[in-house]
Amino acid sequence: MRTADWIVLVTSLVSIVAYGLYRSRGSNTVDRYLLAGRTMPWYAMALSIMATQASAVTFISTTGQSYIDGMRFVQFYFGLPIAMVIICAIAVPAFHRAKVYTAYEYLENRFDAKTRGLASVIFLMQRGLSAGLTIYAPAIVLSVILGWPERVTTMIMGVTVVTYTVLGGIKAVTWSDVQQMCVIFLGLIAALVTVIVLLPHSISFGDAVYLAGAAGRLNAVTTNFDWKDNYNLWSGLLGGTFLFLSYFGCDQSQVQRYLTGKSITESRLSLLFNAVAKIPMQFFILFIGAMVFVFYLFVQPPLLFERAQLTRIQSRAEYPAIARRFDDAMAHRRVAAAALAAAHHEGDSAGEARELSAYRAAQAEANDAHTSAERLVELSGGGKGFKDTNYIFLTFVTRYLPVGLVGLVIAVIFAATMSASSGEINSLATVTLVDIYRRHIRRHASDHHYVLASRVATLFWGAYAVLFAGWGKRLGSLIVAVNVVGSLFYGSLLGCFVLAFGFRRVRGTAAFAGMIAGEAAIFSAFLFTSISWLWYNVIGCGVVVLVALAITYLKPEQTAPPARARA
Amino acid sequence: MSAERDDAPPFLGEWRRVYLAVLVYLAVVISAFYLFTQAYR
Repeated sequence: MRTADWIVLVTSLVSIVAYGLYRSRGSNTVDRYLLAGRTMPWYAMALSIMATQASAVTFISTTGQSYIDGMRFVQFYFGLPIAMVIICAIAVPAFHRAKVYTAYEYLENRFDAKTRGLASVIFLMQRGLSAGLTIYAPAIVLSVILGWPERVTTMIMGVTVVTYTVLGGIKAVTWSDVQQMCVIFLGLIAALVTVIVLLPHSISFGDAVYLAGAAGRLNAVTTNFDWKDNYNLWSGLLGGTFLFLSYFGCDQSQVQRYLTGKSITESRLSLLFNAVAKIPMQFFILFIGAMVFVFYLFVQPPLLFERAQLTRIQSRAEYPAIARRFDDAMAHRRVAAAALAAAHHEGDSAGEARELSAYRAAQAEANDAHTSAERLVELSGGGKGFKDTNYIFLTFVTRYLPVGLVGLVIAVIFAATMSASSGEINSLATVTLVDIYRRHIRRHASDHHYVLASRVATLFWGAYAVLFAGWGKRLGSLIVAVNVVGSLFYGSLLGCFVLAFGFRRVRGTAAFAGMIAGEAAIFSAFLFTSISWLWYNVIGCGVVVLVALAITYLKPEQTAPPARARA
Repeated sequence: MSAERDDAPPFLGEWRRVYLAVLVYLAVVISAFYLFTQAYR
């Protein structure tokens, strides 16, 4: 990082926060602090929804994933437009007309207090776990890449987020998200243009795309079906639909974004914007990763992108042989790639077939050497299941991007972390206040008291996220488990909302029992099968609905009218 | 509880048509990606 990079980074971050705070003036009532007085325009909500969903890991990890595995990750988002249409048609008008602050408040109107309470607790557990991870994951990567202590990167992001979220409430969060998405778009476009410009003069953009495809990096659609495979057309369409229904329909961190809309139409438009824009955006990010792969065809990449782990294995006896094998494979791949591009240009089919075979053989050899290096990290105590995917893009950025652009891309990572984290902290505070504190602890206090309590709850969850992030390294491989745990709760929440919207005869006790059964089914799938986590939402939702329907029709007394308790 | 008015969308006249347009768009995107994959495999 040079002076110009620092100027770009600091200017970006300060302007984002200042603009968010400026737009949040007057957030002095609960309605304004938590829901922006229901005045937000669709485009602000749309960008806020996009920013909240896209954490820094999305950019760091997705580009790395494309470099290693190709673009098939984009299929994960194929269910999103379907989910958005369903949510726009059913959930948005229901939430708006009920004038609720949280999705779970709606469940008490529809079922009873215990169902609302269970859903709120499930949300707090699930989102609370990921709040720390949202800050921790990019903090550790930035720390390694920039050479700063982890505490510094954690504190910069944590303190900034907590400050504007506590002071400005959801208005500050939303308007900051708008700015953050602008910085993110700008940074991504700059990264793609730069990587293409940095390719050798003999390699055109068309050649680069051809070489990426020949190495299997442009596999955007794979039609094979496998229960254990996260990313194929079918898991994306079906599993993805259920996942995004859960995320955008039942997760307060997203629901709260579109509850701030000034009308049903504005809220719907914000979600439909995401339905249309999200897949191309992910495609674009993955394409950057594929182009970084092509860049490294002609520039020697390191054996491992995480320098600390590379240093760790360099003293091992096995290292020289692995490094030599990797270097030889890279040299062969470089020659084959240039020859393949030339043969493709000249329309030499026989030469193209020959060079393609050599190119793929060299790639397979390089992959093999890289896998050996990753195993050596494990053997050297570097952590089980080590992968350096998250370090690929930022290594490229810090080594090869021109001065100024490095600062911009680092600002993208900070911005993405802050937008995702502020949304999480804000929603955790809202559920804590509305569904726990105001419902069960202090039911009739002044508006001023609840605004103060909201700020305290925001501060609490912000401090929790930063502390959790600070302890992240000590959690070690549990971090991976925390990520999986997040996917264990959505299915039963979704099932409960499906019952609320789609089955009028089902009442509170049946829904409550269904949620418990749904959680049991998801945990059984997690513990005793190897089914991909993307299917947990389908399983959980299905079990919740079936059990609740069985109770409803086997025990008719469960169909008595619900109590109309409100917070 | 006052019911909020469900306005018409700013384009295509009815929400059902807007939803259908989004789903048609999804089908077009998947088809385009499939062709892209086949073209560069």
